[in-house]
Amino acid sequence: MSLETLWLALLGLLLAGYFVLGGYDYGVQMLHPYLGDDRETRPDRNAALDAIAPFFLGNEVWLVAFTGVLFGAFPHLEGTLLSGLYPLIVAILVGLVLGNAAVQLRGRSRTAGGRRWWDALIVVGGALPALCWGLIVGLLLHGVPRRPDGSFHIGFDAVSSPFVLACGVSTALLFAAHGAGFVALRSTPELAEKARHVALSLLTGVAAVGSLALLLTLFGAGASMTNRATSAVVAALFVAALAGAWWSFSRGHRIRAFAATCCATALPVLLVGAGHYPYVLTSSAGTGLTIDDAVTDDATLKILSVFGVLVVPVILAYQSWSWWAFRGRTGRRHPSYF
Amino acid sequence: MSAADLARLQFAATTGIHWLFVILTMGLVPLVAIMHTRAAFTRDPAKRAVRERMTRFWGQLYVINYAVGIVTGLVMEFQFGLSWSGLSKFAGNVFGAPLALETLIAFFAESTFLGMWIFGWGRLRRGVHVTLIWLVALTAYASGYWIMVANGFMQHPVGYEVRDGAAYLTDFGALLTNSSALVALFHIALAALTTGGVFIAGISAWHFLKGTEETELFRGSLRLGLWVSTIASFFVVIVGEMQRPVIERTQPMKHAVLENSGVAELQARLVAEHGPGDYVPWQDTVRISMDVMTIIGNTVSTITFIALVLLWKDRLMRWRWASWVLVATIPFPFVASAGGWVVREVGRQPWLVYGELTVEDALSQVGTAAFAVSCAVFIAIFLALAVTNWTLITRFARRGPEATQLGATEPLPDGEKQPLPAF
Repeated sequence: MSLETLWLALLGLLLAGYFVLGGYDYGVQMLHPYLGDDRETRPDRNAALDAIAPFFLGNEVWLVAFTGVLFGAFPHLEGTLLSGLYPLIVAILVGLVLGNAAVQLRGRSRTAGGRRWWDALIVVGGALPALCWGLIVGLLLHGVPRRPDGSFHIGFDAVSSPFVLACGVSTALLFAAHGAGFVALRSTPELAEKARHVALSLLTGVAAVGSLALLLTLFGAGASMTNRATSAVVAALFVAALAGAWWSFSRGHRIRAFAATCCATALPVLLVGAGHYPYVLTSSAGTGLTIDDAVTDDATLKILSVFGVLVVPVILAYQSWSWWAFRGRTGRRHPSYF
Repeated sequence: MSAADLARLQFAATTGIHWLFVILTMGLVPLVAIMHTRAAFTRDPAKRAVRERMTRFWGQLYVINYAVGIVTGLVMEFQFGLSWSGLSKFAGNVFGAPLALETLIAFFAESTFLGMWIFGWGRLRRGVHVTLIWLVALTAYASGYWIMVANGFMQHPVGYEVRDGAAYLTDFGALLTNSSALVALFHIALAALTTGGVFIAGISAWHFLKGTEETELFRGSLRLGLWVSTIASFFVVIVGEMQRPVIERTQPMKHAVLENSGVAELQARLVAEHGPGDYVPWQDTVRISMDVMTIIGNTVSTITFIALVLLWKDRLMRWRWASWVLVATIPFPFVASAGGWVVREVGRQPWLVYGELTVEDALSQVGTAAFAVSCAVFIAIFLALAVTNWTLITRFARRGPEATQLGATEPLPDGEKQPLPAF
């Protein structure tokens, strides 16, 4: 495997990591007024937010690392992609800024009124990025309207195509289900039971809207993949992960269910990456920007690789350590700060 | 306003506001780490309790500021690709590497470890917990280093060659040891420590003015804050002056504007070298910012030194006017930092990469309307966040250690057992 393919794989790993970890954050953010609210005994706390709290700061950095690696290893993709998706990226950033600040500062407010404001921002900050990432996945699967000079610009008509919208909605629902799965894993048994039921209904929604996207693709109005066979395999895995999650939730296997929703949230990244390889950005016409056009100069990539070999295992090690250190269910003995 | 103006306004406003959070974060975290270490190594239980409360009190103010700093920082990472895609086309091979390494080496660790530190009270072993905050401090400064390497390349590009209109990295070592990056990093590190020290000293002085009962806690804080800010503010002026020769060598126009001599000749020379255009940055803005920074730097240095002397026999706490002066000093390091940022960034205009790429040429092909909307939205949100941040910091600073939420475990009702771990 060549060096640039390895870096593309690392880029995919970072984005997939962000989808999995940020995904359950967004899901919990969307669901927290319904799931974690306990007005009677602890009006100032939210049990669903307590579940994600120790991991929250460590989760969002996967996105920042993705952007950093995108700039470092694939600068010619970075400039085109971010400026081309301008309105969607701005919307994601607005959601992230508001949602992240709200999650961290909610606990600082003294009044119920103040908390309601933060709560509303927390929901917006989960739903907006989730929806927009889904739209971006849809756009990348379908191909973007590239101009002769390689740049493109997303307008309202591109985003409002049925396939792209279906991808957006199903991603938002999937993140929500994934978040419910995380609450089911970490909260008190009563709340976990409630979260399990929520996850089941949400997964049904994902299946319904996802089928619409699949049908549109089969009739030629959806994804136009470069590698059809690989894409079909990844899509089948995605369906299997969804089915596995549904089955596990309905049987009460919460760990298995969460593992399955982790796979389901990560697989769209693989679909975009492997389904279009060697293109990293395809036009609607079927051609596009290849990995060789996008990648940085050889000399830079070699230097980055030296650091990457040392740093990436360390990152994975301390992130795993943080998951291990805060394993187990939340309860009142846990320092609750957010 | 043109698309370029809007994109510049958006970048300047978001970076400028982000910078105000950064300077306090970098200033507070080493001091919180020192407090936490002292608490952990104190044997006397009463003293240890005081020092632990002290760590949690200042730690919470730091964490509030970090929360807003990190969200504004998320936006920064995307700004280059959003608004300045010409930068990645021209300098992506060189400029992207330090940004990628910053996120992988420093920022990733900083955020993960801070999350663990916040929730690690009473859950992690003391040594591990203290190590975490030191790792946060270390990675915060490592982050600063890589960002300054990237920024240093924009100020004074080194270690590259241009082939077919794109820059290629030829000497990574030169990029890492760029004098425009290193001296500036040293300068902002000292400026950050000054800011953090003055912040802690000022708030402690305020509590003495209000007749606090936590005298031991705030005396210790005051002493630490004053020592750090006195030493840092003395050297920050000196290191700041050390940048002058670097600027003279690498950015003759900025130097000419600061000295207010030879601007017209340089303009003529740059036109001859780079073609027609306006190569003079906003002269008055740059000069006034420089003066503001210098005056504040020297004043803060003097004030903290005198205050440090007045600590002897608690005169500082007894002389109310002296305490009030310390409280009033809190905002000034922030103003000076903003001034320093203006000198560095406005002073290099019209260049994005000095001598190679102008800001105008790097602009993304995004419509004016899109820039106008995003600019308005970002500025509104960032200003709201800045106001929220300072309101919350002020509120929790005034309420004192009693109201600290960081690391406070709620009492467990009788007979209630902790649920079993899930796995």
